[in-house]
Amino acid sequence: MLQTLGLEYHYQHGKQIVFPEIEIERGQRLLISGFSGCGKTTLLSLIAGALRLQTGEIKFDHHDYSSMSSLVLDKFRADHIGYIFQTLNLIPFLSVSENIALGVRFSQSRKSRVASLNQEIDRLVASLGLEKEVLSAPVNRLSVGQQQRVAVARAVLGKPDLILADEPTSALDSDTTKKFLNEVMETFDSTKQAIIMVSHDASIAPYFDSVIDFNKHYA
Amino acid sequence: MLSLLLKSMRSRIIPTSLVTISLMASMVLLLSIERIQQGAEEGFNRSISGVDAIIGPRSSSLELVLYTVFHLGRPTNNITTKTINDVKLRSDISWLVPIALGDSHRGFRVVATEPNYFQHIRYGNNQPLTFSKGVAFAELSEATLGSDVAEKLNYSVGSEIQITHGSIESIGSKHDDFSFKVTGVLNKTGTPIDQAIFLDLKGYELLHLGWKSGKKVFSLDDVGLSSLPADALNPKTVTAAFVGLKSKLTLFNFSKNIREYPKEAISAVIPGIALSELWSIVGLVDKGFRLLSWIIIAISIIAMVTLIIASLDNRKQEMTIYRANGASPKFLAAMVVYESLVIGLVAIIGAIILVTIVTYFATTQLNLALGVSPSFKWISLNEVKVFSIILLAGVLSSLIPAAMVFRKNLHQTLS
Repeated sequence: MLQTLGLEYHYQHGKQIVFPEIEIERGQRLLISGFSGCGKTTLLSLIAGALRLQTGEIKFDHHDYSSMSSLVLDKFRADHIGYIFQTLNLIPFLSVSENIALGVRFSQSRKSRVASLNQEIDRLVASLGLEKEVLSAPVNRLSVGQQQRVAVARAVLGKPDLILADEPTSALDSDTTKKFLNEVMETFDSTKQAIIMVSHDASIAPYFDSVIDFNKHYA
Repeated sequence: MLSLLLKSMRSRIIPTSLVTISLMASMVLLLSIERIQQGAEEGFNRSISGVDAIIGPRSSSLELVLYTVFHLGRPTNNITTKTINDVKLRSDISWLVPIALGDSHRGFRVVATEPNYFQHIRYGNNQPLTFSKGVAFAELSEATLGSDVAEKLNYSVGSEIQITHGSIESIGSKHDDFSFKVTGVLNKTGTPIDQAIFLDLKGYELLHLGWKSGKKVFSLDDVGLSSLPADALNPKTVTAAFVGLKSKLTLFNFSKNIREYPKEAISAVIPGIALSELWSIVGLVDKGFRLLSWIIIAISIIAMVTLIIASLDNRKQEMTIYRANGASPKFLAAMVVYESLVIGLVAIIGAIILVTIVTYFATTQLNLALGVSPSFKWISLNEVKVFSIILLAGVLSSLIPAAMVFRKNLHQTLS
């Protein structure tokens, strides 16, 4: 489904990164681990289409990133990619359900895959182990673990092909991390979706089909 | 997008509403100045209609109009009845109504005139005076009241009133030896006519029979009315005379002839021209105020843009999440522009409501002070223009923060 070829990135301050090749198919779970500052977030940004390609190629099904404009990439991201940040995933002045609904706000095709928005949100929230009362609570009352689950619900809503997660467990303790990952892997649709997670925590590797270790890549 | 925008603005309600209020207040300032000025102008202009010229002593024409029509400013000199009678003989005159001013009743001015006043003097858009009760005075001991006088002093047909010498109660002494009987009350006109008491010139002359240089020499109680000679009550002088011409085309010629009248220094003032003199003086001050309010509006718009720019940093998280979920930079830029639109529209609606309230009170004040009451209006075409300019300026200046948002790339915000 997704394939990168010879990706390199030159930062403005002079640093240069050569990324390992990545290939992922639907239903696959890929973990990219490595120490911080090794360019993991940059890689996710490139895959998300948030950062323009400098050297190398990204192919997503039949789409070639280098031939798409920023505007087309924005649309493409809306339709095909769900993104989970390390922290601060939620908009504070929106309710939890409104935050989740943002996932299909900018994509007709993702919206059309959801028959009833409220029902689907209820289903995701339950599947992620959140109580239903959370939906109407103000975002700032939620624990970090709850916030990250809400972010996951948003990222998988409308079944985008690829879910990108940037260190979503870094603020969670190890018990919560396990529970969180269990729930995420259950909620994620292994027939249609793929997931790429970035983390410095190698202990979560058992949850994934394959692991790319940036540290080894550079060694 | 609108619901997202409104929720976002609600989360920043305090700075946003303060900026909206400042924009609104500056618009209220501008519109109030404009409306009060227009209201005063309209009120003045509608107060005298159908009168082609005012004949009075040769002095400032504005002073004459202000005193004879609005009872404002210093009293002018009198002119002799002989002169008035001479003018009356001219063939280009259709009608002439003399008036004598100077006395008052409980703060309301007394206009001594002839009964044909009510026939010739008009107001507003050439509307004739009509009576709500009774008829015009016919005898020298009768009086007719303007609607405000009757209402405020609770007088009606049959009430007896006494007149005070001079215009202020405490200073003047009362003509307490003679009273007038009210025969009629006029309908409301929204002009100084509402605040006047009309008497017959002969009755007025009678009041002043016993007076010399503003002091009472003898009382009317000592005089038998029947013993007076027939022409004793014909006034020797009057304050001015309102004139209607047969044809307006002869107006300037008439005015020139009157100025050249050999026996007395008199002039014929055309009310519209005298009032336009007033507006050209008032207009200068007005322009200054207007310029000042535009500057304040500009400052408010700058404050609004400053607020939007300052808020962008705090909204980084919000913007990033929109972008990560596929919102284009166009969407974010549009959100910023719409924010300025919402602020502008709310300020405009608030300003219309406030200005309407302000105008209402200002109109009441204007009526109390000048006796004029301009017609009430919601919004004028000119105001719509002003609003459009302000809205456009707001939107154009919000393009600055919009461009800032547009150019920020997503990766900068992601990491």
